[in-house]
Amino acid sequence: MSYKVAVIGDADTVTGFALSGVSYTYVHADKDRTLAKLAEFMVSEEVGLVFITHRIAEEIGAEFRRMMRAKKLLPVVLRIPDFKTGYIPVVDELYELIKRTVGAEIVVRAEEG
Amino acid sequence: MAAVATEVVTPTRMELLKLKHRVNLAQRGHDLLKEKMDALIIEFFEVLRRIGEARKSALKQLSLAYRALSVCSAVMGTIETRQASREAKRELEVEISTRHIMGIVVPTLEVERVERDALTRGYSLHTTPSVLDEVSKEFEKALGLLVKLAELEESARAIARELERTKRRVNALEYILIPRLKAALKFIEMRLDEMERENFSRLKRIKAMLEAGA
Repeated sequence: MSYKVAVIGDADTVTGFALSGVSYTYVHADKDRTLAKLAEFMVSEEVGLVFITHRIAEEIGAEFRRMMRAKKLLPVVLRIPDFKTGYIPVVDELYELIKRTVGAEIVVRAEEG
Repeated sequence: MAAVATEVVTPTRMELLKLKHRVNLAQRGHDLLKEKMDALIIEFFEVLRRIGEARKSALKQLSLAYRALSVCSAVMGTIETRQASREAKRELEVEISTRHIMGIVVPTLEVERVERDALTRGYSLHTTPSVLDEVSKEFEKALGLLVKLAELEESARAIARELERTKRRVNALEYILIPRLKAALKFIEMRLDEMERENFSRLKRIKAMLEAGA
């Protein structure tokens, strides 16, 4: 089935994605309104993929994590770095997932390709 | 430390047989689940490996796109760039379907053709500079890579969830159910032995009495 794409970010990030054809955009202003917008995207039948920046996801905090745990298969939500490049999230969610799942610390070697 | 059988167990041969059967079943179930867990772990790490690669290329392309955007804003002006983005055609569609790996539902995401040519993007060509085309192109490329990344990360999450569930069931069998069944088994065997010894000594006494009386 075909779905539209949404992006939540700062004005510049959103501009870039709009130029590539993303249908729904939202510029983050404050926590509550962004949460409401995200909730809107989550229940929308049209939206299949949501991009949200790491920075904003962290700012929204616990509520965002709760929404991700509770969500069904769609929409797919991906966290992306924003326009102010080089922002690495404090906690890499995937690494935490590995630790919890496998029950061991896996050290990822950075391979230069 | 031996596990204590907490249920009431009647020490009969029938019960012994039934229990042996249950232990057998539980053991087989446990082994099967353990195999499933191992297969899931292998699959999980394979997906993680692909995520590592996909992340690298997607993020590299994304930073190229952001850089192009900076250039464009400098040349065109930030406001004009944002205006152009509003004029662009924003009908991108992602094809999402599901497939199954080892019984888990996992999404597949595909974009047909993210990259468009300047004519079909929607903003007016003669009022915008070519840098705008550059930005659009770089973001279109980034989008394609990000869609694939999204598919992989979502799959990883689905596998992790199933792994956790399976692990819990394996542990429940291994540390709770099977020890409990085995303890009950031992209890019955002990009682049955005891009863047989009692019987045996009773018979001996009776025999002695009969012989003495006769």
